[in-house]
Amino acid sequence: MNLLFCFIGALVGTLVGVLPGLGPVGAVAFLLSITFKMEPASAIIMLAGIYYGAMYGGSTTSILVNIPGETASVVTCLDGYRMARQGRAGAALGISAFGSFIAGTFGVVGLMFLAPLLGRAALSFGPAEYFALTLAGLTLVAYLSQGSMLKALIMATLGLLAGTVGMDPISGEERFTYATLTLRDGFGLVPVAMGLFGIAEVLENLVVIGTQSVYETKIQGLLPNRQDWRDSAAPIARGSVVGFFLGILPGPGPVIASFVSYAMEKRLSPTPEKFGTGMIEGVAGPEAANNAATAGSFIPLLSLGIPTSAIMALFMGALMIHGIQPGPLFIAKYPELFWGFIASMYVGNAMLLVLNLPLIGIWVRLLKTPYVILFPLILLFCLIGVYSLNSNVAEIVIMLAFGVIGFFLRRVGFEGAPFILAMVLGPIMETSLRQTLLISRGSFYIFLTRPICAVLIGLTVAFLIWPTFRRKSKSD
Amino acid sequence: MKRLDLIAAAGLAGLAGYILFESRKLAFGSLRVPQTGFFPRALGILLVLLALGELLRALRHSEPVFSMEKIAGEGWIRIGATLATMLGFALVLEWLGFLLATFLLMVLLLRAIEAPRWPKVFVVALVTALLSYGLFAYLLGVPLPAGILGI
Repeated sequence: MNLLFCFIGALVGTLVGVLPGLGPVGAVAFLLSITFKMEPASAIIMLAGIYYGAMYGGSTTSILVNIPGETASVVTCLDGYRMARQGRAGAALGISAFGSFIAGTFGVVGLMFLAPLLGRAALSFGPAEYFALTLAGLTLVAYLSQGSMLKALIMATLGLLAGTVGMDPISGEERFTYATLTLRDGFGLVPVAMGLFGIAEVLENLVVIGTQSVYETKIQGLLPNRQDWRDSAAPIARGSVVGFFLGILPGPGPVIASFVSYAMEKRLSPTPEKFGTGMIEGVAGPEAANNAATAGSFIPLLSLGIPTSAIMALFMGALMIHGIQPGPLFIAKYPELFWGFIASMYVGNAMLLVLNLPLIGIWVRLLKTPYVILFPLILLFCLIGVYSLNSNVAEIVIMLAFGVIGFFLRRVGFEGAPFILAMVLGPIMETSLRQTLLISRGSFYIFLTRPICAVLIGLTVAFLIWPTFRRKSKSD
Repeated sequence: MKRLDLIAAAGLAGLAGYILFESRKLAFGSLRVPQTGFFPRALGILLVLLALGELLRALRHSEPVFSMEKIAGEGWIRIGATLATMLGFALVLEWLGFLLATFLLMVLLLRAIEAPRWPKVFVVALVTALLSYGLFAYLLGVPLPAGILGI
């Protein structure tokens, strides 16, 4: 049964990755509501399938249409589309699929070994460490955001505030509920995520309805030749390692990993000036990196209980819905869930290799679906998905409200990812801070006397002041 | 577009002020024993400072740091029609029932963008309503409102 859910997740994920307009965050948020009735292992296996499936699928549109299916495939457009124009779409698609498989497998092996190690180390974490970790994580996400860091910090603060709506996690007192039953449970993660990422994205696409032209070429020879493998082997290896470790860090791991890998391959290449003209290294490295990063990004969630990105926040939500608390004791308390999840990632990577190559023709046909048909379906799934949570119409209104807010905030450069991450981390952060202050009798000095805290607080300060320092040295 | 930056910053400062005002009703406690209002009030103060920082930045720069293309009148109509349709769906869902509400939703959304011919609209809307009902009600076991049709 879990194999079936793995397959469904991988298929849906590839579809989501292929079709621009609905990213993996929106898809996971929607399917989260459906996983209520499933076993925890099946739920997490299916949702994980969507995540790494989207990484595979996103490269298809990048190569064939020059439009990234999702953000981590932006870089693949640079050389992948040029390869398609040169009649080498098959080689680009093939190396992307094989590279993703190899890197995904490497990432799963890394996850298998590192997660238990980090989980054991995290047993020595107290409330002070957790507060410092969540603070450093949010600051790093703001630092790495594509827009202004100040705006990302504002969104993170708003997310923390949104997390305070509902019941106080310590005293159980109501806050900002205005005597409504719906708000007593706080803003639901699913309505907010679907509003900010699903509805807002669709509204943005409604601004200008364009038609995308799929490059009409006969895709032949999906198996890379010997020269392609010789050129791609090292980029795939480097991308796997770099991607995996970047995925562990807070922030949009796969996106950063793909950009770093591209920059690295260009720097290491004997012909860097050829990047952007159809270099297979420019496809192999980034695609390997973004897949390895998806595996790496599970490590902080499973071993520390700290999600490091919007999608990991949703995974945390999925586990908590089933009454499972991720953290240092997760692997010890739920070994069947952890190892079942690892096994599914091995199988899922193999399934994706099988799905992506022979089904290219179907994905290409789907890409030609007019947006006028696609967008009502996306909206319908969002509406039903939210309603199915608690059969509560008020949650649809919350989703629409966040959709409108997200749409307008995007127009002035405010991103949704820091908000959703902060909303999930908020209760952990607040509880840790209040417990720490109780222990230290109101002294903040405790954050400097505990070594792990001191390092994390130091990193937080560094992330905050580095942009100012860099601007000053540039103007000098 | 710089005006949008200023409006956003001013709006955020206003929101922060409102949060500080509402937090007065919650017990703050002290640093030794922080209570219910401690975290929201601290965040409210932080938001005021960040919003003022954003306001200053927007005032200092002659050009907006970030801007997107302006939305044409047609775009606003599409957005407005889509939002109104979805809100209408939420309001009538439990009264009309899932099938009828979904059918109407699809008809209005399809017409909101490109106005395909009515026969095509009706066929797509009907097929979508039936398929989604089958998927959610039967395959996934999601309880959906029966409404006036009783289905």
